[in-house]
Amino acid sequence: MSFRNEPILELRRAPERDALLEALRALDGRLPVAVPVLIGGDRGAAEGLDSTDPGTPERLVATAGEAGAAEAEAAVEAAQRGFAEWGARPAARRAEALRGAAARLRERRLELAALQVRECAKPWPEADADVCEAIDFLEYYAAEALELDRGRELIQVPGERNRMRYAPRGVAAVIAPWNFPLAIPCGMTAAALAAGNAAVLKPAEQSPASAGALVDALHAAGVPPDALALLPGHGEAGAALVRDPRVHVIAFTGSSAVGLEIVRGAADTPDEQGHVKRVVAEMGGKNCVIVDADADLDEAVPAIVHSAFGYAGQKCSAAARVLVHEAIVDTLVERLAGATDVLRVGQAEEFATEVPPVIEAEAQERVLRYGELAAREGRIAARVATVPANGWFCPPTIAVGLADGSPVNREEVFGPLLSVTAVRSADHACDVVESLPFALTGGLFSRNPATVERVAARLPLGNLYVNRGITGAMVGRQPFGGNRRSGIGAKAGGPDYLLQFVEPRVVTENTMRQGIPAE
Amino acid sequence: MESELQRVGRSIHAAFPTRSRHPLRALDVKAMEMAAQDQELRAALFRFVDVTPACTSLDDLARHLSAYLDEVDERPPPLAAAMRMSQSRAGRTALGAAAAAGVRHMAHRFIVGETPSAAVRPIRHLWEHGAAVSLDLLGEATVTQPEADRYAERCLDALETLAAAAPSWADRPLLERDSLGPVPRANVSVKVSALSPLLRPEAPEIGRDDAARRMRPLLLRAKELGAHLHIDMESVDTLEATMRLVFDVLSELELRDGPSTGIVLQAYLRESPDQLEQVLAWARSVERTPPLVVRLVKGAYWDHEVVEARQRGWTPPVFERKAESDRNFEQLTRRLLEGWPHVRPAIASHNLRSVAHAVAANRAAGRAHADLELQVLRGLGDDLAAALADLDMRVRIYCPVGDMVAGMAYLVRRLLENTANESFLSDLQRGVSVDELLAAP
Repeated sequence: MSFRNEPILELRRAPERDALLEALRALDGRLPVAVPVLIGGDRGAAEGLDSTDPGTPERLVATAGEAGAAEAEAAVEAAQRGFAEWGARPAARRAEALRGAAARLRERRLELAALQVRECAKPWPEADADVCEAIDFLEYYAAEALELDRGRELIQVPGERNRMRYAPRGVAAVIAPWNFPLAIPCGMTAAALAAGNAAVLKPAEQSPASAGALVDALHAAGVPPDALALLPGHGEAGAALVRDPRVHVIAFTGSSAVGLEIVRGAADTPDEQGHVKRVVAEMGGKNCVIVDADADLDEAVPAIVHSAFGYAGQKCSAAARVLVHEAIVDTLVERLAGATDVLRVGQAEEFATEVPPVIEAEAQERVLRYGELAAREGRIAARVATVPANGWFCPPTIAVGLADGSPVNREEVFGPLLSVTAVRSADHACDVVESLPFALTGGLFSRNPATVERVAARLPLGNLYVNRGITGAMVGRQPFGGNRRSGIGAKAGGPDYLLQFVEPRVVTENTMRQGIPAE
Repeated sequence: MESELQRVGRSIHAAFPTRSRHPLRALDVKAMEMAAQDQELRAALFRFVDVTPACTSLDDLARHLSAYLDEVDERPPPLAAAMRMSQSRAGRTALGAAAAAGVRHMAHRFIVGETPSAAVRPIRHLWEHGAAVSLDLLGEATVTQPEADRYAERCLDALETLAAAAPSWADRPLLERDSLGPVPRANVSVKVSALSPLLRPEAPEIGRDDAARRMRPLLLRAKELGAHLHIDMESVDTLEATMRLVFDVLSELELRDGPSTGIVLQAYLRESPDQLEQVLAWARSVERTPPLVVRLVKGAYWDHEVVEARQRGWTPPVFERKAESDRNFEQLTRRLLEGWPHVRPAIASHNLRSVAHAVAANRAAGRAHADLELQVLRGLGDDLAAALADLDMRVRIYCPVGDMVAGMAYLVRRLLENTANESFLSDLQRGVSVDELLAAP
């Protein structure tokens, strides 16, 4: 496979930064972006849903259509027609369309990064990385689908021919989050389409414009309008898609609460439904970084701070807890606190900003509530003193001395709040991690190869990162996804992912009829 | 010019001290040779050196050593014996003690002392043997404001300590005067990334401003003390912040007429010729006195730059073939010499060809020996420094100061450099002929 990751921008070079600022100025002149409901060839009205800038809530970034149950119904019907055509296309032609969409995103990558800065308050380096990841998903799954199309080798004996092939399932509902507004919807949609399914995309209500750009690119590259619908809106359309008996696969990324609701809803199999739904769900995490006594703190401190507070902690992979050996806890807390104090909290469009606002007012309230709880149950070791008043800002905060049972230590906060707990040993840290219901990402800082082996063997995590930050999984390099209550399904950006979107078919043929030899 | 280069190179080579004069150094050389032969073993040993200060006991130290050696497929006999020792507690204590002593010995070779005052005596000794120094303060990474403040205080202490000690040193005209005027005895090198926790590749102005507010008092004090303050260059991630800091702060009115100061140009960077033009243009336009010293080095972050670029899909900012770097080094040397008297050239290399080229080019330009400074690193370039001093050339030894914890990252970098296949030093140790050492890149 000739896949290679799309290079991120070299933002340490002034001309690259200037080009992004120029793209932002150009985008600002065109706001708000109109994002209609797209079903078949029909463009619905682009009104009913407003998407605003989390850093400047008065700024309207997009006006989108508001799809409900009726639109979901119509989209699935169109998708059934679209599937008949798209699913019958040779895999190579489908892959070509996906690669074409990747090329279109690449042409617009500065503008699309700027859009994320405005729509989701994603700082530049992360906005750029998100666009690159979207391109990666398209190209990676295009290549993987070709590989899958060759089928699998089976044992052959004289007189029979055995073949194993993978066929698309049908209509896939894609329910996507806002925190990777292009990459995650793109990954789930591209996987569904690459494998030959039709897709109905329901993006998060906070980020319709990025999803609109994705769907435009795929349509322009040759995905038939019927085979890909866009349903901007709130929860209603998504719930209708989950219930619809004509939907075969539901690909979801988001909160655990919604994910489990989807699992329950999809399990209901009415008589008229001729199949069992497949659910792919990537959900929450409570990700821990273990710091053993022999860790290199010069590396651990910046890596932890970036993993915990980058994009204001709004990544399912973000660090929420540090479990540090008691011998170095004081030093680590002092350095983490000092490194947190100097974090720049500000608007995403400023290159110096490390901690942007959180996505919306509700998120701000939730994060601040957990922060107050942490102050009551433990001690605040660091909290950035002032944050901008307008916009949904939360101060990056480090809490210490919280009991393992505290909600702050067990529930997903999804914001810039990090809890540090002292442990007696790396094994004690593993006990703590194992006691949590989640198993998404985690980190280990240790310079002893024996410790690395032991911890890696014990932890049930989907992605363990050793001696580095725990966010920023790359397509093809770090297939991503959680275990336990963090997720079901194979890892995104990995070699097993497309298997979720196909059904295997085996054909065994008798080649010895009437005694005619096969070869 | 080439024949003059060959003649100079041979005379430097002939002036190298023989190994037998330094029995301890020969021991180190042996250990380096062993490490250089086997990549796995080299990685294991250097990882061990790196973790040494974080180990809490001799037992802990021995456990780490055996865990690293466990990853090496073919262990030479002394290390196989070490693995056997690590089976018992008593064995681990003995092994830990021996290993700690080994690392301390190596660290001592590269690091001149734990503090500036501890360094005063060895520095005076070097001066008496014909070599000036620049003191470099090793430290942990700066991630907080108090750490940046402490680093700045240590720099200030180094300036004060050196300035207080220097007047008692004997007269060494070659080391303290060139055609353009006096050259300060006290000389300290500082790292911008240690002066601020805010160095961010994508927002260089934040780190520049924060580092500048600690750099200014250091420069002003250096001016009062008549000391030289040199601003080191690190990886490309901090390049823009460092260049802008130097140009902006040194253009300020109260710093136009001192102190003596300098910057670094890294020849392994593809963009280094352009950078040199920027530096020369700036030096000509501000007419600062005394002239800016430009230290030309090959560059010490090659692996970091290449790995980072490969991981991110960038074209590496460095030349990937050593010969390209070496050729560029010679071109930059000539261009830098043309910049005199607006800049003072300092050529920092352990490569015999590069040094001989600089000496020959300086002569070809009709300048005195004292108008060219040659620089080496303590522990790596000691023999070269002795040879250059013998030949009446101005040599300055870059001397790191710091404790074990602070010094380990530096030590590992130097060890890697010393055992790299393509390094001049390993060529020298392998007994490569002088013809080959002086061959055009």
